[in-house]
Amino acid sequence: MAASILWLAACTSGKKTTSAAKASDSALTSVVVAKPIGKAPTEALINAYLQLKNALTKDNDNEAAEAGKSLVLAITIIDKNALNAEQSKAFSDIADDAKEHAEHISASEGNINHQREHFETLSQDIYELVKIESTPGRKLYFDHCPMYNQGKGGNWISETKDIHNPYLGKAMPDCGRMIEEFN
Amino acid sequence: MLFVLAVIQFIQPDRNQSGQAAILDISRIYPVPESVQGILRESCYDCHSDNTRYPWYSFSQPAAWWVSSHIRKGKSELNFNQFGSYSARRQRSKLKSIASSIKDPTMPLPSYTLIHRNALLSAKDRQLILQWTAKMISRSPNK
Repeated sequence: MAASILWLAACTSGKKTTSAAKASDSALTSVVVAKPIGKAPTEALINAYLQLKNALTKDNDNEAAEAGKSLVLAITIIDKNALNAEQSKAFSDIADDAKEHAEHISASEGNINHQREHFETLSQDIYELVKIESTPGRKLYFDHCPMYNQGKGGNWISETKDIHNPYLGKAMPDCGRMIEEFN
Repeated sequence: MLFVLAVIQFIQPDRNQSGQAAILDISRIYPVPESVQGILRESCYDCHSDNTRYPWYSFSQPAAWWVSSHIRKGKSELNFNQFGSYSARRQRSKLKSIASSIKDPTMPLPSYTLIHRNALLSAKDRQLILQWTAKMISRSPNK
């Protein structure tokens, strides 16, 4: 009796290992499949930044916090080997700073002013990365709002030619002007 | 309950006192006038440096845990003694954040100044810090 129980136990545990092995196999395959092919290495990072920018144009602090989280992740998992020398230098210059701003934004739900403060410096960081080489097949713009922070101004990067102000949000959605175009 | 209180007195968190000369301290990298340095030491360094002046209540539990978690969080955000270890870009960001937390004013924390009355900043103190950070930000490279 005891032996058969043992045997049964061994059998089930054996089964478990196989299914676990299968699971990790398929996880491996999906990782390989999910690896972007032919995409710019900075794409996920810039997408997360733009998602954040768009959340701020809508005065949406929850969405901004979510996007901040995605940005932290994108900075962490960026494929550094895929960056060219100049990008790689710019990235290592900004990485720790940008990550910290993104972390603060993700932790500042309910305080959109604070999110915007960090977004202002973050935008300057992202600019350093974007100005080197734009993403293939994507046009980006560098915009300036002269009114933000009591006239000190603030910049941001946008994927649209029209102005959608992330600093003043719905109060003054079209305040600002484009100052640089990345092709 | 009393027993638990008695037992936890023996579990004391590590003290935040490096006792070493802070070679990466902000004053080694930026000019910090005496007046500003005084304010930083009195109102900021307890949580934002490697050397805390511990108050009496911080030796009794569970207050010690509470104090030590505050210090840990404070230091991870900003450590004046390690300022030189931040990249130039990060130093500038920290200076900006110092300015906004003084202006807003979210710092020093009300829960801290409630007991540390000396750490309360006057309007003049805040003005001094703001002028100093503005000057440091404008002189730092590639702004």
